[in-house]
Amino acid sequence: MPRYGMVIDLDRCTGCRACMAACKVENNTPEGSFWMYVFRFEEGEYPNTRIWFMPRPCMHCDNAPCAKVCPVGARYKREDGIVATDWDRCIGCRYCEVACPYSVNYFNWRDPEENQYVNWKDPELEALSGGVIPPYKNPDLDRPCGPEKRHIAGASHVEGVIEKCTFCVHRVEAGKTTACAANCPEHAIIFGDLDDPASEPSQKLQRKSSFRLLEEAGTHPRVQYVGGTPHGHGWRQIQPAGKRS
Amino acid sequence: MQAKLERLPFGVGQLTPKYLTFVMGMLVLLAIGLLSYGRQLSEGHIITGLRDIGSMGGATWGLYIVFLIYFVGVSFAGITIAAMIRLLDVHYLKPISRIAELITVTALILAGLCILPDLGQPLRGITNLFRYARPQSPFFGTFTLVVSGYFFASLVYLYLASRPDAATCAQVPSRLQGLHRLWAAGYRGTPAEQHRRKVASFWLAIAILPLLVTAHSTLGFVFGLQVGRPGWHSALQAPGFVVMAGVSGVGLVILVAALFRRLYGAETRLDDRIFRWLGNLLMVLVLAYLYFMVVEWLTGAYEGHQHELKLTKALLGGDFASTYWLAVICLVVPLAILFGQWVRNQFSLTQLVVAGALVNVAAIAKRYLLVVPSQTHGTLLPYGTGSYSPTSVEYAVVLGVIALGCLIFAIFVKVFPVIDLTDGAE
Amino acid sequence: MTRGKLAVSMVLGGFFLQALSYFFLAAPLGIPTGVEYSNPRLPFAPAIFIAGVMLVFIAAIVYELLPDRDGGE
Repeated sequence: MPRYGMVIDLDRCTGCRACMAACKVENNTPEGSFWMYVFRFEEGEYPNTRIWFMPRPCMHCDNAPCAKVCPVGARYKREDGIVATDWDRCIGCRYCEVACPYSVNYFNWRDPEENQYVNWKDPELEALSGGVIPPYKNPDLDRPCGPEKRHIAGASHVEGVIEKCTFCVHRVEAGKTTACAANCPEHAIIFGDLDDPASEPSQKLQRKSSFRLLEEAGTHPRVQYVGGTPHGHGWRQIQPAGKRS
Repeated sequence: MQAKLERLPFGVGQLTPKYLTFVMGMLVLLAIGLLSYGRQLSEGHIITGLRDIGSMGGATWGLYIVFLIYFVGVSFAGITIAAMIRLLDVHYLKPISRIAELITVTALILAGLCILPDLGQPLRGITNLFRYARPQSPFFGTFTLVVSGYFFASLVYLYLASRPDAATCAQVPSRLQGLHRLWAAGYRGTPAEQHRRKVASFWLAIAILPLLVTAHSTLGFVFGLQVGRPGWHSALQAPGFVVMAGVSGVGLVILVAALFRRLYGAETRLDDRIFRWLGNLLMVLVLAYLYFMVVEWLTGAYEGHQHELKLTKALLGGDFASTYWLAVICLVVPLAILFGQWVRNQFSLTQLVVAGALVNVAAIAKRYLLVVPSQTHGTLLPYGTGSYSPTSVEYAVVLGVIALGCLIFAIFVKVFPVIDLTDGAE
Repeated sequence: MTRGKLAVSMVLGGFFLQALSYFFLAAPLGIPTGVEYSNPRLPFAPAIFIAGVMLVFIAAIVYELLPDRDGGE
C-alpha cells in the first residue's frame, strides 16, 4: 500500500498563494478557513530584510495528536498515511483543534449556505442559480472513501463539524495528485508515495536536505520541507489572511 | 432514630413569597439562557466569541469549557467532605454533609450541561459518545468517569445518606409524606439496618475517593497531555486540577452552608466548629495551590522556551495580566484571612464567607487563564496573537446554567431537609 | 451473609466490566496507525464501561435495601 506524503520546496515557492485558491475551488471551503495556508514571512531590519514563504497544509502526522484525542474516532489515521476526518461522526467538540500544534483545523461556525463566500440562502441568488446544486454540495466529494467507506472528503461543510486538509483524498483515490500540487505554478508542492523510492517526492528528498515543522513535538509529520530553514525567532508574518468577524 | 418531629424541619414544604420571588428570578434567567442556546442552535456558533485557532486568530474553547471545568471542580468538595466524615470520623461535620453532597450532584449536572452548548453537534455527541468513545482520548475519562460514573456515585451517596432523615420526615403528616416514605424505602433504624448503613457508607466512601482523584485528574489530562499548546503540557496539570477543585469546592460549601445557616437560623445545627474546620481545610488547599502556581510560573519564566515565555509574559504583564493578578489577589487575601483566624484562634463567619467567595472568583479566573491564553497566545507556528472575548450569548447560557443550579437547590430544600437531622454519633 | 456476598460480587463484576471494556472491547490504545484505532472492537463498548461503573455503586444500594428474607428482624 502506498503511504502518501508531501514535499514542499521552499526555494521554489513565490508566495503566490495559488495553492490556497486551488484548495478553495476544489474543496469549497467556507469563508475564512484555509486548509492550505501560505505564510509570508519577513526577517531583519531595513535595508537588510528578506522575505520568504511557507505553505502549510495539514501535516498528516504519523503520530497525530488530533487522532489520539478524538473522543469518538471521527479523526483517524489511514493506512495510506492520510489523517482523515469523518464528518458524519464528528460531534464538534474541537478537541482536535486545540491538540494540533500546527493549527490546521477549521470549524464550521454556521450553516453551509451562509458560510460560503456568497450566501446561498439569498433569495436573489436562488432566483439566479435556478436551483442548481451549489458547488459546496459537490457530489464527487460526498461519496464514502476508502475500504472503510467513511465520509472524509471535503463535502458537506456541515454546521458544527470540524474540517481540515484531506490531502484531496477523493482525487488521490482516483489516481490524481492533490489540488494544491496540481495548481502550483512553480512545482514547489510535490505529492506522492513516500514509501516508493522512485516517486518524485522521494527523489526530491534524496537530492536535497529536508526538515519538518515542530519536529520536537514528536508528531512525525508526513509533510516535509526542502530548500530553506524552519522559521526562527525573528520572523514576522506579513499580509496574514483576513480575520473572520 | 430521632424523636418524632411536630412539623417538617428547615422550611420544608413551606413556600414563602421571598422564596417564590427567588424561584421566579431564576426561572427568568434560565429562560434567557435557553433562548440564547436556541439562537446558537439555529444560527450556529458564529454568534459566540469563539473562532478557530491559527489563521483565524481566535480561541476555539471558551467560556463553556471554562465553566465545565469550574463546575466539575466545585463538585469535588461535596463528596470529599462527606467521605472524610465517614473515614476520618469527624462526626461534628455531619450536619453539613447533605449540603456538600447536594453541591456535588448539582455541580455535575451543570458540568454536563456546559458540554452541550460547546458541542457543534450536541445530538451526535450524546449518541456517538456511547457508541464510539475511545479510551485513548482524555475526554473518555471526562465523559465516563466524571459525568456518568462520578455523578451516579454521588447520587447513590446522597440517597443512601439521606434515608434515615427521610424516615424521620415520613412520620410527619404532610403533603410530602408519601414521597418521604418512598425515599426512606422502609428504613426503620433497627440495629441491623444501622449496622448495614455504617458498613455501606464506609465502603462507599472508600470507593469514591479514588474515583474522585481519577475523575479530576482525567480532566487535568485533557489539558496536561497536549504537547501542542504551551502552558498546558505539564505534569502539574492533573494534581493542580485536584487541588484547585478542592479550593473552589470548599469555598462554595462555606458560602452555601453560611447561607442556609442564616436562612434557617440554624446556628446550633451548623455550629462554628464546622466552619472552622472548613476554613482550615480551605487554608491548606489554597496554600498548596499557591505553591503549584509559583512552580508553574517559575518553570514558564525560567526555561526560556520561546512559546512558554511568550505565554508567561502575556499572563504576568500582557493581555491577561489583570485577570492573572486578580486571581492571585483572590487567593492571597483569603489565605491571609484564614491564616489570621487560625493563628489567633479567632473566628468570624463573615470573613470566612468573604474568603469562600474570593477563592471562587479566583477559581473561575484561573480556569479562564488556563483555557484561553494557550490558544490565543500559544500557537507554535507564527500566526500572530489572537484574541477572544465572550459574547452575550455565552454569558447568557452560562448564567442560565447557574440559574438552573440554584433552582435545583431551591426545589430540593423544599422537599427535603437540606441540613442533616440525625446526629453524627447515631 | 448472602447480602454481603451479592454486593461484593456486584462490585467485582463492575470492575471486571470496566477493565474488559477499557482494554479489550473499546478502541485500542497506542499510536493510531489505521482505521481500527477509531472504532470500538465491540459496538457500544463505552456503554459497557459506564454500566460497570454504575454496577459498582448500585451494589451499595442493593446491600442496604435488599429486603431480609425472613421479613426483617
